[in-house]
Amino acid sequence: MGKIPPALRSAISSNTLLKTPTTTQPEKSPRHFLNKKPSRKSKESVSPETQKIPAVFKSPELSEAKKIFNSLITGKQNHIDRPFHNSLLQSYASISTVDNSISLLRHMIHKNPSFVPDRSTYHILISQSCKEPDSNLSSVRNILNLMVTNGLEPNQGTTDIAVRSLCSVNRVDDAVELVKELSSKNSPPDVYTYNFLVKCLCKCRALSTVYSFVDELRNSFDIKPNLVTYTILIDNVCNTKNLREAMRLVSALSDSGFRPDCFVYNTIMKGYCNLSKGSEVIGVYKKMKEEGVEPDLVTYNTLIFGLSKSGRVGEAKKFLKIMVEAGHFPDAVTYTSLMNGMCREGDAMGAMALLEEMEARGCSPNACTYNTLLHGLCKSRLLEKGIELFGVMEEDGMKLETASYATFVRALCRVGQVAEAYEVFDYAVESKSLSDVAAYTTLESTLKWLKKAKEQGHAV
Amino acid sequence: MLPQRVKKTIIDNPKKLANLIDLVNLPSTLREFVGQSQISRLGCFMRVWSYIKTNNLQDPNNKNVVKCDQKLRSILMGKPQVELAELPALIKLHFPKDSK
Repeated sequence: MGKIPPALRSAISSNTLLKTPTTTQPEKSPRHFLNKKPSRKSKESVSPETQKIPAVFKSPELSEAKKIFNSLITGKQNHIDRPFHNSLLQSYASISTVDNSISLLRHMIHKNPSFVPDRSTYHILISQSCKEPDSNLSSVRNILNLMVTNGLEPNQGTTDIAVRSLCSVNRVDDAVELVKELSSKNSPPDVYTYNFLVKCLCKCRALSTVYSFVDELRNSFDIKPNLVTYTILIDNVCNTKNLREAMRLVSALSDSGFRPDCFVYNTIMKGYCNLSKGSEVIGVYKKMKEEGVEPDLVTYNTLIFGLSKSGRVGEAKKFLKIMVEAGHFPDAVTYTSLMNGMCREGDAMGAMALLEEMEARGCSPNACTYNTLLHGLCKSRLLEKGIELFGVMEEDGMKLETASYATFVRALCRVGQVAEAYEVFDYAVESKSLSDVAAYTTLESTLKWLKKAKEQGHAV
Repeated sequence: MLPQRVKKTIIDNPKKLANLIDLVNLPSTLREFVGQSQISRLGCFMRVWSYIKTNNLQDPNNKNVVKCDQKLRSILMGKPQVELAELPALIKLHFPKDSK
């Protein structure tokens, strides 16, 4: 989710336009719910513009573009296929205005009558018109009309491209308006577009707005939320710690004939984790087992994270065993969560032992693992070990996190290693772990605290 | 977790943040040192700290102590040597609160 589906990516990018399927059937990417964990993949995929499109056009000037086009096609009109034209149009669209792109398209058709634009050709223009700054929907409507006059009815792919383009430039309200408009003209969004839009709305609008959108589409166009939609909604309310609403949604989805799947349970479990409610976290796990839903890696990671967070490390360790027995491979997230729990209990050495165990099992620690350990070691007054660990982080160019940086600097100052604290400050700034301001204020306030402690006669 | 909490309040507090990053007109001594007429408190700290590093002014026997050269002495109240720990406070003296 949040990713541009492969089918769509090719639809907006350059040369496979002819093969573009007319409906978008994007594969659902695996959903990760442990948002704050290290393994979090960068969710924003490469936007279409950053993909390599040959820089044929260097100026947005229309006459220039026409000239370039003419020189490219001279003498080989019949050998140039539609994808080639589409690529050119795409390239030009990335630097020009919509009106100029339309003019260039007209010019192309005029100069090379063998070129017949298809949907993907117009999709380029749709995408461009949606992203044009300071515009309203009228330019999108223009292109849609242009499509219709050329005998191409907009389809679900068209809707999808328009919605995603609009949302990519934060025009969510326009996207909603367009979807309603297209739905009333017998071109309703498919479930992927619909869910995408619901997710965007969740991110930037009040819950009531999202609900009224869902209701309106259900009542007016018979577009119903599916299990994924419910998961998105539950995720959203869980993130705002509104577990009561989440429970209401769970019963609503059951009433609509859906059975909660692993994703739904994982989402709810994450909600309880955020509230550090260990018993409820285990409750969700038991419920899954009762309902015959097989927990996956994310379930176990969430479980271990939640238990560690609510100070129930013993149980978390047990679940590490259980998950291995169930055939899952614990990953960096699993181990880091557990280490975090152990460090909270003051068992930093135990966490270090777990680091060895994890590496022995072929699982590589990441920056978050090291930050957790550094933080834990400093808290447990094992500064020597911490300095050693920091050396490894430095070598690998790992970034420091705010908390571990602050704890480390403080621990160094406490034992009078101010110069070393300055070096850590330099590293934090150079590696861009923190902003200069954040790094400096931490250092400054730590030194202030040190001075006070000295004045009050505390040991340093 | 004291430092983290303090840091947060500073970043969340626009006045304190401004005190750190706003450009300030410098008195002549400082102006000579940094080579420009305006600098923020943060920028000034970075300048001084990197000056110490590039000129190897830290005491080789105790890295926490800075042996001031003539130029550094001129902006650090004429002290022949200062502790690294008091550097932020010394620099802050050049940035009085009422200047903004």
